Amino acid sequence: MTNSISDIGQADVIFMIGSNADTGHPTIGLRLHQAVARGAKLIVVDPRGTDFANQADLWLRIKPGTDVALLNGLCHIILEESLWDKEFVKERTENVEELESVTRKYTPSYVSEITGIPENQLFEAARLYAGAGKKSAIYYGMGLAHHASGTDNVKSIANLAMLCGKLGVAGGGVNPLRGQNNVQGACDMGALFNTLPGYVGLTNDEFFAKYEKLWKVRLPRRLGKPATEVWDDILDGNIRGLYVFGEDPVLADPNAGHAIKAIEKLDFMVVQDIFLTDTAKMADVVLPAACYAEKDGTFTCTERRVQRVRKAVDPPGEARPDWKIICDLSQKMGYNMKYDSPREIFEEISSLLPQYSGISYERIEKEGIQWPCPDEEHPGTPVLHIGSFTRGRGLFIPEDYTGPSEPPDEEYPMILTTGREMAQYNFGSMTRKTPGIEEISPEAFAEICQEDADKLGIEEKSWLQITSRRGKIKIRTTITERSQEGTVFIPYHFAEAPVNLLTINSLDRLSRSPEYKVCAIKVELV
Amino acid sequence: MSTITLKINGLEIVAEESLTILEVARRADIFIPTLCRINGKNSEEPCEICLVEIEGMADPVRSCVALARDGMVVVTDSANLKNLRQEKLARISSHHFGDCKAPCNLTCPGQINVQGYIAHVSKGQYEEALRLVYERNPFPFSVGRVCPRFCETRCRRILVDEPVSINHLKRFVADWTMTNHIDLKIPRAKITGKRVAVIGGGPAGLTSAYYLARKGHDVTVMESMPKLGGMLQYGIPEYKIPRNVLDFETNMILRMGISVRLSQKWGTDFTLQDLKDQGYNAILLAIGTSADKKLEIPGATLPSVLHAAQFLKDVACRIKKDYGRRAAVIGGNNIAMETSRTLLRSGVDEVTIIYPRAQEEMPANQRVIKEAEKEGVQFLLMASPVSITENEDKSLNVELIRMRLGEPNARGTRLPEAIPGSSNILEVDTVVSSLGLIVSEESFSGGELEEKLLLSPKNTIKASPRDSLTSVSGVFAAGDAVNGPRTVIQAVVSARRAAENIHAFVMDEDKSPAESRFNFTRGKSFDDVRLSNFDGINIKLREKMPGRPPEIAIQDFDEVNLGYTEKQAIREAERCLSCGCTAFDRCNLKPLDIDYGVNILKTGMGTKPMYQKDDSHPNIVVDLNKCIFCQRCMNSCEYDAIEISSGAMGENGIPLDLKLTFKDNCVSCGKCVDNCSTGALNKKDFLVPVVSESVRKVRSTCPYCGAGCQIILNVKGGTIIEVTADPEQAPNYGALCIKGRFGFNFIQHKDRLTKPLIRRNNQLVETTWDEALEVVAKNFFDLKAMYGPISIAGFSCARATNEENFLMQKFMRAAIGTNNIDHCARL
Repeated sequence: MTNSISDIGQADVIFMIGSNADTGHPTIGLRLHQAVARGAKLIVVDPRGTDFANQADLWLRIKPGTDVALLNGLCHIILEESLWDKEFVKERTENVEELESVTRKYTPSYVSEITGIPENQLFEAARLYAGAGKKSAIYYGMGLAHHASGTDNVKSIANLAMLCGKLGVAGGGVNPLRGQNNVQGACDMGALFNTLPGYVGLTNDEFFAKYEKLWKVRLPRRLGKPATEVWDDILDGNIRGLYVFGEDPVLADPNAGHAIKAIEKLDFMVVQDIFLTDTAKMADVVLPAACYAEKDGTFTCTERRVQRVRKAVDPPGEARPDWKIICDLSQKMGYNMKYDSPREIFEEISSLLPQYSGISYERIEKEGIQWPCPDEEHPGTPVLHIGSFTRGRGLFIPEDYTGPSEPPDEEYPMILTTGREMAQYNFGSMTRKTPGIEEISPEAFAEICQEDADKLGIEEKSWLQITSRRGKIKIRTTITERSQEGTVFIPYHFAEAPVNLLTINSLDRLSRSPEYKVCAIKVELV
Repeated sequence: MSTITLKINGLEIVAEESLTILEVARRADIFIPTLCRINGKNSEEPCEICLVEIEGMADPVRSCVALARDGMVVVTDSANLKNLRQEKLARISSHHFGDCKAPCNLTCPGQINVQGYIAHVSKGQYEEALRLVYERNPFPFSVGRVCPRFCETRCRRILVDEPVSINHLKRFVADWTMTNHIDLKIPRAKITGKRVAVIGGGPAGLTSAYYLARKGHDVTVMESMPKLGGMLQYGIPEYKIPRNVLDFETNMILRMGISVRLSQKWGTDFTLQDLKDQGYNAILLAIGTSADKKLEIPGATLPSVLHAAQFLKDVACRIKKDYGRRAAVIGGNNIAMETSRTLLRSGVDEVTIIYPRAQEEMPANQRVIKEAEKEGVQFLLMASPVSITENEDKSLNVELIRMRLGEPNARGTRLPEAIPGSSNILEVDTVVSSLGLIVSEESFSGGELEEKLLLSPKNTIKASPRDSLTSVSGVFAAGDAVNGPRTVIQAVVSARRAAENIHAFVMDEDKSPAESRFNFTRGKSFDDVRLSNFDGINIKLREKMPGRPPEIAIQDFDEVNLGYTEKQAIREAERCLSCGCTAFDRCNLKPLDIDYGVNILKTGMGTKPMYQKDDSHPNIVVDLNKCIFCQRCMNSCEYDAIEISSGAMGENGIPLDLKLTFKDNCVSCGKCVDNCSTGALNKKDFLVPVVSESVRKVRSTCPYCGAGCQIILNVKGGTIIEVTADPEQAPNYGALCIKGRFGFNFIQHKDRLTKPLIRRNNQLVETTWDEALEVVAKNFFDLKAMYGPISIAGFSCARATNEENFLMQKFMRAAIGTNNIDHCARL
């Protein structure tokens, strides 16, 4: 997030796209609702009729996967009607000309045709968001990112915010709601195929020298393989060994059947986890790990706040904290990695990462600090991009709309989209052990609208077989206005209905994110 | 922002303008009690506890609404305010209906949190259950086998069907941890450098030693016999407490760090003065009652006339003797029963207990009598021995006289009296008299201090019940040696108290004040408890203790009762009605009642249930019988998803006819429960009342979505019991979702991986860390050598810490040598 959770309270206009914070981020959802109750205007872009959508001043019920068209269309109107923040664009950005040229063809009628959103709503949304002198904040979730065009979506969001000068001010900003507790931190720490810790690309000699000196080793320069591509590389025989730390690709990856086939081909796989996951069951070695309540450390949350995690109880049996296991393994591999405590590791992190330089366990003992925090006196940064962008001028990178990689057709006439329920989390290994949660959310239901149900002769709680080009699952139905005609929504928490057997493993060309949110399916009564 | 200056309790305070007096006081850390104020809102029927006096105003005002003004002089505590608050609290309390502590907890001499450990059992948390028992009783194995079960006599389940088999559950958790080699990891306090000598290694001595060692003292136990355990070792036969169990139990105690000196007889091998000279800061006498009260009839000194304690000790020491075919046991106490059963296992075919009254009047526990009877022990009741003579064949003739009950005496007791001329003869081979135990036949000797020890008329050691001190300074006494022969649990309690007293003495500290006896109750006696309390509870009889059939059991000394299976234990634990309040530690009403001296026995409390418990919410149970209409649930809910209203006003201005509704927009976040002032709202999952145990509060970060909510893990022993949040802390300011507050069961779930696994013959089997890591390293090493580092890829974890993600990528880059590292940011 460029901004802080608490500055939701200062927003005049809230633009939510691809996020149902009530289920994905309930405590942030609460603040959003409170802001709306206080009088903030709410625009929701969502194919599903979520509570936020129903409560919105303006609900743009978009066809899944057409976000770039919408965002370009909004920029088009804002430019046409001269609603943009000329001063901000002139002082702080570059390349607006290209935005103008790319968005020229995204006229309201064209965009309406692609997205299914009525033209008048496009005008209203553009005018409301761009409103001069108003603080407008964008909140987006995985509904925006989980597409083959995910980075295009995100770039288009940034274009819209820069064009209207809604960055660098409390109550505004571009605010991704990150899905996992420490996905921000894992990225910051360089657990990525294309960067060292601190977002230093693989070409930065100065940083490589620094790291190599401290780590006493020559570091590889060749770009690594993103997680979503690893499977193809295994099947091609390029990758033969896999170290899986706390992930369950057998359930989590798109087109999971593909991942399973790849795992079977591996020479060797070690899985390090707290439960015997479906992936762990296929491993050659399984290492038992401590969970968050059994170790010390830090998480960095979606508002870039670095916060403490503290040991409350002992790990079960012989389970060990992950940091210890990695150290032990490294020693066995002959590379010296010895730390006495997570604190010592953190000291190394803050010595290397410019964003973390001023953060220490002492300073975050009571309350976390938001990076960047360049030195020990710095209070942290609640709002990014005040006065200038990290790269100096903000760069407009407009993209054309390309559409989902697997649109519905005659054979697979409907669209599947996936997401979270409020009470459950990911694949349920954590949440599905609490009876009060299971009572609220005991099984997966395919959400389908009345019109589609009538067409297919489906009744409430009917058993369905849902098939995509990659696999099929059995699941019961719930008939609801939340679903748009032609679209089925299924939560992904339930191993009984492993929805990722259906999803498509087509990837965003830059981030290599999979398109969880759109694939073509057919729905049949069992 | 302008400021004002005012005085509260004589203290000058500068505050922001337009704040209430309550808020100004809160920010200045001055405590004003309130029951209903939250989030800047009150109950529509304000509690009026926050009254304060303002100089120049005739009547006290509610500090939650009165604004602080410049120059104000405020008093938050005065005799008048105290009276007003007491009066108001008494009124609120007069409708509060429920049990603070469960009757079992109150009845247990050890004051053990019985409901707590049963709840742990029902959740499969056996280790935590036992840890809870150890808070107050380090003899769960023995007590779990021999306790007369005071607690079960008051179990409310009696009003439904049968009491919960509490003691069997205690034994189950103890045995379970023994079988599974569990280390309870009970921490020992910092070493104090104080030394305590404990004379006597029985239940009392070892209990004191245990709690003193836990407090960090250096404790040495002096035992006169070659083995520890006292009566458990030498008095209670093996078929009741197997010796391997007893050894395990005493070893658990010794592991706290206790020195032991065996075969050291006080008065012979050492004296009190010796111990003082050796530098002990305190001495505890816990010598129990090991001497028999002598039989005083003609023939009592014949060689085949034995005394029970000595007889049991001989058997325990495996001294083989021929007791003949027939034996008589004189006396009706517990020891007489065990003596009889031991005789049956020592080659005797016929054992007859002689007792001058009816069976129901025997001092022995009825359950113990039944056990003896089942094994074939005969009872000769209303008879008393007059003399014993020896026949030529060495058999004995016991001359008996028949008894009858006389007229009631001044106290109303009917003492037995002999029926003249009713004598008859019982012919046996051995007589064992069991007339009771005493500390010692003579007074103590051996040294000057010994002779100074004062004894009671019953020949027990005189010790003050207040501080356990004897007549000799620095010398304490506890257990049967002070109280005469009692149960094991009573010895444990006496010794635990002595340990607290000794701790205060050697540390020169005040003893922590005794816990208040204040207790709301649904009815003190069974007669007071309305049966409507149990509407909807179905009959479910107690689990039967598996045991060996008596005819088999008497053939050896192996244990008779075999203990519950795990399934039985859980079923039995689920019978518990959970009478005690699970909000015991967070209740706001009870502590105020105590502080303001409200006497609910006089001013009244609720006497009958007015509302059915409502458990229709997935995570919350509502018991409006405890509701005091503070409306904090409603006023703290940030979703406006809960409504509580009152349909009528009772006399005294107490709201009646309460109705609580969770609206459809409730997200089950549970914040209302954390803000409830009593136990009206409870988390379904929170079954274990925290009575006097310490709870650690560990601040951490929620492991679910990316919002980074700050949480507090509440840990009791080694178990996370609850997750709460701090309303003052960013970024969530006390808000949590259902996952954050309720979804912590996975942490200590039985499916967690506990050992490294390795694939052998296509099966994952357990292995050592060393082998597991060796295999991983070798495989990666080989792949690297054959196909290069890029043939290996790693997935890191967006749920693990920064430190771990940092190390994971460092491992892949530095140890393997590839950038094939990624995580599920995009998944």
